[in-house]
Amino acid sequence: MKRPKLNPVVIALLLAVLLFALGGILRPGFASHAQAMNILRLAALLGVIAAGQTLVIISGGEGIDLSVGAVITLSATLTYRLVNGDNGMVLPALGLTLLVGLLIGVINGLGITLLRIPPLVMTLGMTGVVQGLVLVVTQGQMQGAVAPIMARLVARPLALGIPGVVLIWVVLGVAMWLVLQRTAYGKRLFAIGVNRTTARLSGVRVPRVVVATYGLSGMLAALGGFVLLGYTQIVFLNLGAPYTLPSIAAVVIGGTLLSGGQGGYAGTMAGALVLTLLTSLLTALQMPESARQIVYGGTLLVLLSVYGRQRALRQ
Amino acid sequence: MHQIALTAHQLVKRYGGVVALADGSLEVRSGEVVALVGANGSGKSTLGKIITGAVAPDGGQLILDGRAVHFPSPQAARRAGIAAVYQDLSLVPDLTVAENIWLAHEPIGWGWRVRRGAMREATARLLDLFAGTVRSTLTPETPVAALPPDERQIVEILKALSLNPRLMILDEATASLDSNQVARLFELVARWKAEGMAVIFVSHRMEEIFRLADRAVVLRSGQTVGTRDLRTTSEQELVALMIEGGLAVESRSAAGATRGAERLRVAGLRAGAVRGVDLSLHDGEIVGLGGLRGQGQTDLLLALFGALPFTGEVRLAGQPVRFTHPSQAMEAGIAFVPGDRTREGLLPIRSILENLLLPSWHRYGALLRLTQARRDAQAMAQRLNLVMESLDAPVSSLSGGNAQKVVLGKWLLREPRLLLLDDPTKGVDVGAKREFYQSLEELRDAGVAILLYSSDDEELLGLCDRVLVLRDGQVRAELAGPTLTRAELVSASIGALMGETS
Amino acid sequence: MSYAPAMTATTQVRRALAGRSYLFSVLLLIIVVSINYALQPNMFRPASLSGNLRTYLPLMLLAAGQAIIVIGGGIDLSIGAIVSLVNVIIVRALGVDPSPGRIALAIALGLLAGTLAGAFNGLCAAYLRFQPIITTFATSFVFSGLALWVLPSPGGVVPPDLLRAYAANPLRIPLAIWVAALVLLLWGALRATRFGTYLYAVGGQPLSAYVTGVPVSLVRLASYSIGGLLAACGSLALTLNTGTGDPLVGGPMTLPSVVAVVIGGTRLSGGQGGIAGALIGVVVLRLLDSIISFANVPSWWQTFAQGMIVMVALAGPGLVALVRGQRP
Repeated sequence: MKRPKLNPVVIALLLAVLLFALGGILRPGFASHAQAMNILRLAALLGVIAAGQTLVIISGGEGIDLSVGAVITLSATLTYRLVNGDNGMVLPALGLTLLVGLLIGVINGLGITLLRIPPLVMTLGMTGVVQGLVLVVTQGQMQGAVAPIMARLVARPLALGIPGVVLIWVVLGVAMWLVLQRTAYGKRLFAIGVNRTTARLSGVRVPRVVVATYGLSGMLAALGGFVLLGYTQIVFLNLGAPYTLPSIAAVVIGGTLLSGGQGGYAGTMAGALVLTLLTSLLTALQMPESARQIVYGGTLLVLLSVYGRQRALRQ
Repeated sequence: MHQIALTAHQLVKRYGGVVALADGSLEVRSGEVVALVGANGSGKSTLGKIITGAVAPDGGQLILDGRAVHFPSPQAARRAGIAAVYQDLSLVPDLTVAENIWLAHEPIGWGWRVRRGAMREATARLLDLFAGTVRSTLTPETPVAALPPDERQIVEILKALSLNPRLMILDEATASLDSNQVARLFELVARWKAEGMAVIFVSHRMEEIFRLADRAVVLRSGQTVGTRDLRTTSEQELVALMIEGGLAVESRSAAGATRGAERLRVAGLRAGAVRGVDLSLHDGEIVGLGGLRGQGQTDLLLALFGALPFTGEVRLAGQPVRFTHPSQAMEAGIAFVPGDRTREGLLPIRSILENLLLPSWHRYGALLRLTQARRDAQAMAQRLNLVMESLDAPVSSLSGGNAQKVVLGKWLLREPRLLLLDDPTKGVDVGAKREFYQSLEELRDAGVAILLYSSDDEELLGLCDRVLVLRDGQVRAELAGPTLTRAELVSASIGALMGETS
Repeated sequence: MSYAPAMTATTQVRRALAGRSYLFSVLLLIIVVSINYALQPNMFRPASLSGNLRTYLPLMLLAAGQAIIVIGGGIDLSIGAIVSLVNVIIVRALGVDPSPGRIALAIALGLLAGTLAGAFNGLCAAYLRFQPIITTFATSFVFSGLALWVLPSPGGVVPPDLLRAYAANPLRIPLAIWVAALVLLLWGALRATRFGTYLYAVGGQPLSAYVTGVPVSLVRLASYSIGGLLAACGSLALTLNTGTGDPLVGGPMTLPSVVAVVIGGTRLSGGQGGIAGALIGVVVLRLLDSIISFANVPSWWQTFAQGMIVMVALAGPGLVALVRGQRP
């Protein structure tokens, strides 16, 4: 138990640096400032999306939120329609989508606590429902437009050549750190992640914390959808789905225990960077889709072997 | 039965930097019961687990019948005729009693099929050994999940027995059993011994060790420090060997100093195994809950703490209350130290700081004032004389006694008016127990009302002002003053059970 | 306190249901079949029955494999990728106008690939002790990458004789029913062996099983391998049904396989349940889809309706418990 452990955040950051250097050596231009900013921007998108996932995984009880992808699509779709190119509508639209995301997450949490549906299954089922909602909202036609201010915020450099989305990410990072380390909610979240009986017998209202956590996850996914829309500037039915599993992978790479009760958002941020770098590197090397997928999966397995291993039965 | 002679020679086991066993040595042969004794964390269980192949040693030798052996798995040890009854149970809840007992050595018939009929019959024969001490609902087809702890323990014993072992290790096997069941087990062990079985008996209970064992091997801090013939050794001598520096006089509390106002009154309470309990508890008083295991003591405490739904009347300082969640009971000044530290009282992988403050975070503002919280936790750690690396070390790095201090400390930080304790010193070594009693007495003197369930009669006698003996979920006797004696306590609980079985 | 209500009626009911965890799915099946029959009275006509079951069979085999893995305490999120991989391997190995020997070889290769893929998952989860969910998520990329490498874009043909054989109705009973019965029979035989008990013990309480001497890692490896083999069988059925190869065909089947296992009454935490429920779960899922398409639901609402119905099916047991628990 007590063997000296490498800090997962440090491992992930080292890996990110390694990948970046590797990219620079193999493909001149990969390590350029513009490319670095682009990678940072993509990492920020994934990082924002994976914030809620971090909370849910820390909450334990096989916690996982597979509905983030669908919520992202729904949020982007709603924003796209509501904003319709009007800067003045951006804030109301953001408020509404966050509310919708919160609501979806709360329903997830209620299903998990009240009806005792396993999180994997509950959020999976919710994915189908939300995908259905997207179709109902759009009726097959993606109408609307991105407001100029959103594009400006996310896609272009905001200050000092740093894209706005990266600044949003940093602010979110600080907020997440405060929530996890400096609030009673954060302390209780870790507690229920380790042992729900102990938490309950210490006065923690476990179901409330669980519902709040899934609610937050839904809300953060909706925020992710809003930010993603600023980047893509266009909505399609499959917009969010490819982010679901990377959001989990980013959390795991960052060293948060899948069994709950230990971890943090700094790790997830590093994990998002590693995943994005890996994807960008494979794209830059012009690997065929098949090789990219194999390398992607293989890397995940390697990372799992570094610190994703469970305890041996025999000691 | 084949003869057996096993020698463990200077076995070593390290977990990371922590040495669990530095020099584990013992000898045991057919027809002999050897007790393995030592304080918590002395390495008894580790030594036992190495012998059964569940733990791989880092050094030393196991010599079986004159030859050095190495067990790569529990199966290998079982093939050599060594079976174990573990402290932490090794049963699978979803399987039936029969499936559990014969797991991994099922009788196999045609087409590799398990012969379920044969398995059932053999199980029924094994269950007959404990007939009369268990409920009639314990059958070969009962799922283990439906059994109370004592019956699970018995299934565990029968599971080891089903292997026809030459050497059986009983690791705290009596911890969950009531006295009838213990008596039956000891009869059986005597019979097995006569048939030539060797038995290693690991226990905290001195009285049982002297009743059952021929020799005692004493471990201290992972080292075998001596072997004693129990016919020529006194209890004091053995305990002195267990704890460094000899044994001081046993702590006994004076009778309750000042009894304050009535803190708790319960009338007709029913919850889980509790079937109508009336009781009254005053400030500055320690009231014990006695009786055999599983007579409703734990459920009573859980109900009072709002963790188990109940019917009936509960008044706290005169006010009727009905808690539906522990947080409400906590608001009203109640604290609860649960019986199973690891599963109910602690967050093992989190820091000592977080464990101590878990019930109290709301007091430190919306954006937690961590400096102040740390100061409070540090003060509590000092007050309880907590031996630790730092407040940021995980609780799992603490010994049993220190971990129990954390459980108590997290409640003392809330300054409770009513303290509920569910067998708090189970598995805690002698030294830590004494400190724990001292803390309780200080609290009592400070006017806290304390309701304590203990499976250790000595503890109830030494600590409590009054003891309520529970049987079948009801208070059957109240012992205080001159009637609070060991004989009364035992007869109130055991006499009652005899009446039931007849 | 966990054992205290051992004598209550609820527990007795639960005990009576133990080992019959599929009963809830049977109830659902009856409801769904009734509604389907009302909307579509010809559903029991041999032709449509046989045709429907043909399309159900691949997912049924997949769910059976998933159920065995879940009972053993794991989960396989790569099972759909295994289907894709086996599908393209079979189609590529068949080539154009294959001889009978080549057909046998192609099928054997496909089944072997599926078993090996499952065994690889098992190796990672059991011997290297990776978290099952994230491991199989990672291997799903490896397997679908391999599938894309074997066959970068959809194509290939399956000989018509094989397609006809798959559409056969021996003794006037659809082939799918024969296959399902065979799977259940083999499962029953397996369940009665020592391995059967091991599987449940390992899924329920691995540490206890280990200490007792159950070869936990081996049992896990076997459960993933059997799961992989069944996924390969499912892929074979799919290939014979669609008659072509597609490197992305299996992906969308992973999640329904898990949902079917849950509808079939198997706990995702392992150690309990069975595959009969999973098979029924698939039929329930598929019939729900057909209800929606036949019930004149406006097309843009269909996905939503399907999602809601799946949610209700998943919530069913919990809702019942909730209502019952709140009664005084």
